[in-house]
Amino acid sequence: MTAWVTDFAPTTAELNSCVACGLCLPHCPTFRLTGLESASPRGRIAAMKGVAEGVLDLDADFEEAMTFCLNCRACEAVCPSMVPFGRAMEGARAEITAQRPTARRRLRHLLLGRLLSNRGLVGLATDGVRVMQRLGVSRILPGRLGRGLRGLRPLRPVRAPALNGSGPTIGLLVGCVMNKWFSGVNTAAVELLTRAGYRVAIPGEQTCCGALVVHDGGIDEGRRLAAINIRAFDNVDRVVATAAGCSAHLKSYGKVISEGAQIAAGAADITQVIAELIASGKLPTLAADSGDVVLHDPCHLRHAQRSTEPPRQILRAAGYHVIDADPEGLCCGAAGIYSLLRPATSRELGTRLANLIDDRGELVATSNPGCEMQIRSHLDRGYRIAHPIELYLEAIRSSG
Amino acid sequence: MIDELRAALDSDRVMESKLELHLYGRDAGVYRGNPSVVAIPETTEEVVEIVKIAGRHEAPVVARGAGTGLAAGAVPTEGGVVLVTTRMNQIHEIDPVKRTAWVGPGVINLDLSHAAAPYGLYFAPDPSSQAACTVGGNIANNSGGPHCLAEGSTVNHVLALEVVLPDGTLEVIGSEAPDPIGLDLRGVMVGSEGTLGIVTRALVKLTPIAPDIRTLLCSFSSISDAAETVSGVIARGVVPAALEMMDQRIVEAVENWLHAGLPTHAAAILLAEVVGETAAVEAEADLIAEVARANKALEISVAAGEDERALLWKCRKSAFGAVAQAAPNYYLHDTVVPRTRLVETMNKVYEIGRRHDLLMMNVFHAGDGNLHPLMMFDASEPGMIEKVQAAADELVEVCVKAGGALSGEHGIGREKRDLMPLMFNTADLDAQARIKETFDPFGRFNPGKILPAGSRCFDQSGALPPGAWV
Ligand SMILES: Cc1cc2nc3c(=O)[nH]c(=O)nc-3n(C[C@H](O)[C@H](O)[C@H](O)COP(=O)(O)OP(=O)(O)OC[C@H]3O[C@@H](n4cnc5c(N)ncnc54)[C@H](O)[C@@H]3O)c2cc1C
Ligand code: SF4
Ligand code: SF4
Repeated sequence: MTAWVTDFAPTTAELNSCVACGLCLPHCPTFRLTGLESASPRGRIAAMKGVAEGVLDLDADFEEAMTFCLNCRACEAVCPSMVPFGRAMEGARAEITAQRPTARRRLRHLLLGRLLSNRGLVGLATDGVRVMQRLGVSRILPGRLGRGLRGLRPLRPVRAPALNGSGPTIGLLVGCVMNKWFSGVNTAAVELLTRAGYRVAIPGEQTCCGALVVHDGGIDEGRRLAAINIRAFDNVDRVVATAAGCSAHLKSYGKVISEGAQIAAGAADITQVIAELIASGKLPTLAADSGDVVLHDPCHLRHAQRSTEPPRQILRAAGYHVIDADPEGLCCGAAGIYSLLRPATSRELGTRLANLIDDRGELVATSNPGCEMQIRSHLDRGYRIAHPIELYLEAIRSSG
Repeated sequence: MIDELRAALDSDRVMESKLELHLYGRDAGVYRGNPSVVAIPETTEEVVEIVKIAGRHEAPVVARGAGTGLAAGAVPTEGGVVLVTTRMNQIHEIDPVKRTAWVGPGVINLDLSHAAAPYGLYFAPDPSSQAACTVGGNIANNSGGPHCLAEGSTVNHVLALEVVLPDGTLEVIGSEAPDPIGLDLRGVMVGSEGTLGIVTRALVKLTPIAPDIRTLLCSFSSISDAAETVSGVIARGVVPAALEMMDQRIVEAVENWLHAGLPTHAAAILLAEVVGETAAVEAEADLIAEVARANKALEISVAAGEDERALLWKCRKSAFGAVAQAAPNYYLHDTVVPRTRLVETMNKVYEIGRRHDLLMMNVFHAGDGNLHPLMMFDASEPGMIEKVQAAADELVEVCVKAGGALSGEHGIGREKRDLMPLMFNTADLDAQARIKETFDPFGRFNPGKILPAGSRCFDQSGALPPGAWV
């Protein structure tokens, strides 16, 4: 007998792989903040197990324990038993969606699934924000909204990227938020990849990767989006994303729908590809001294993909001296839509990271739009935050 | 009682939901209990209040740190209040001159070492769980670790303790002096597993970080070659900072996770570390390599830098966690045998595994003969738990017969409670029960742990019997 109702639920094998050793506890931001077992990875797994075994109910307390989790997957990266925590958590949230339906959540999934995948709507929102930025509205907006708006980059009109070259084809997943609001990163990606001899395809039919909605338990919407992307990227050699959250999710497409295994196997984060190209000499290593940069590792790169070297290699190749923002690697608190759902916790983590950065330097690099916005909105003015490949491209340009 | 607790603490630090009670029903071992309430104090005063309130309601109080204990020490087997120290995690003071620190019981072992590092100091006890476990838990279990071979276990690093006793009084035991005047009760309190008092602050010793260090990895084609090397090294008068053995199954599991390049073809590997001044360290490392070669080592390598060294230790320290890849449950023993009987005992241990058809893995502190045989199983298979228990009992018997001890470092707790008579005679047990009675006449603190029922079996007036092991 099982208490689960969806085919995305945590599996017995996933839950049984936890031996309750507790080694993950100190790496979990919510455990660090509260000291509570129910806010720890081990406790969350035990709660899922309790529900699976029928000892616990899938009730409000369970929902609270699951939704308090940032899904940063720091626990997963340090677990010697290789518990697939992120996967299990997405499963638990899909169960909550199915068994504790609320109008609010349904609306949220609809927004995340439909709005973000609709370029027209994102464009409209973008125009709205652009006008507000022009008017300097963030200064007069109340706390949370104002902070949110301050986290955004000054928007520039999006330039259509060039499409040429004759080498292997990389499909660029430009991202729902990324393409409009972080277009500079995509432009840099296209330029660097073409310099290295790749053909870069940006299929027009592509859509939001679905990470945000799947993390929120919206597996149905998530599957719909994944299916669209699988079709859109049918003809490319590998798919590369410029946001760590997107590349991590692409790599797990096989778990989302069975047809996703192929795309997942070839998926990569842009930092991984550029670092490879630098290592193989297809992109230059500069002799310049560009000064210090403070690097924040996005959780979905550092923990979900266990990838910490590529951004460092890129920045070093650009002549930077890299300083770790946070050796402990705790989540910045953005965590997808977490910052909207749990503003207090998000803020606590954001402030913590901002203080660490503040002590270390004024130029910040990070490779995920959520982290960038979160950091910008918690730092004072006077800091610059950019993607490592943007800094690298600038260095190439200024070195002639 | 819950209302009174809520009045004494913020109400959100007193928890009684089904979910919370379920989660605080176990630690990292296999036993399970049912607390009636969970309280999360932040100050010593709150601990005193909780103890007094529980006392009025005749409820047991079970202290809990990070819950990484493996012997069910923090499991409320008889219900009651689980008192969690994770929020008492302040490092109150570090004195770099006296090399001491006053810390809260909930401070994580490794956090203390990190905080002391800028002064060139660290907290020496290094259980493999050190990234997670608390200093309070270390004290209660008198925990050791790979490096306790040279540095001793927690008891050698505790100077003074502020404790709340079962009647709610607050005492400070010990002092900054290494040998305090009067009865030295620290030795009684350290290792008492929360049965005598709840530690609310501790004054611990910090140790200078050694100027140089060498870490050797030696692999062998048989367990006995590795074990002979261990005895050989010690016989030559070298006490390495750490001397650890991992068998093939363990190495495979760890390698599968970390891809550290460990030799998975070897029957056993030894990890040896020496610390001190460069010249001495080099001489000792050479000597260890020489002994290993004499015992037919397959490979001997020295960690090239701090990163490589850190990776080797990560391999060793994540061994318990990594084994879950082999089966969903493990049962771990923590027995000690004299080093001279290591080879013979190891062979018997594997023999027991074969006879009971249980996968047996071994990773342990070879230097001090502290074995950690792990039996892998799937608890959902019917009859499995009984089978494992039977094998475990045999295993302990083999070790005790070889002149060893029940527990090297993980504590007795509930798990090994009923095995105590294997090791102690009635007089020994009685003496221990008297100590417990003196501190806790009503059996409030962590009842059902360490001492089996009926330990206080006869009334022997006068002093402790000679040779009583307390
Ligand atoms: C992967 C792994 C590796 C391990 N390796 C080692 C090792 O190498 N060496 C070793 O010795 N142990 C080891 N252990 C066992 C365990 O981690 C240690 O015993 C540790 O000291 C327990 O600390 P804790 O904070 O988790 O205590 P808990 O498990 O929470 O509690 C342990 C005991 O301490 C008592 N206690 C806790 N806090 C207090 C307090 N403030 N006052 C009074 N009593 C208190 C509890 O009641 C209980 O009896 C390992 C465990 C795991 C899971
Ligand atoms: S998730 Fe992994 S690290 Fe955490 S308690 Fe379970 S087995 Fe240990
Ligand atoms: S995903 Fe992050 S927040 Fe969630 S349990 Fe793991 S470490 Fe904690």
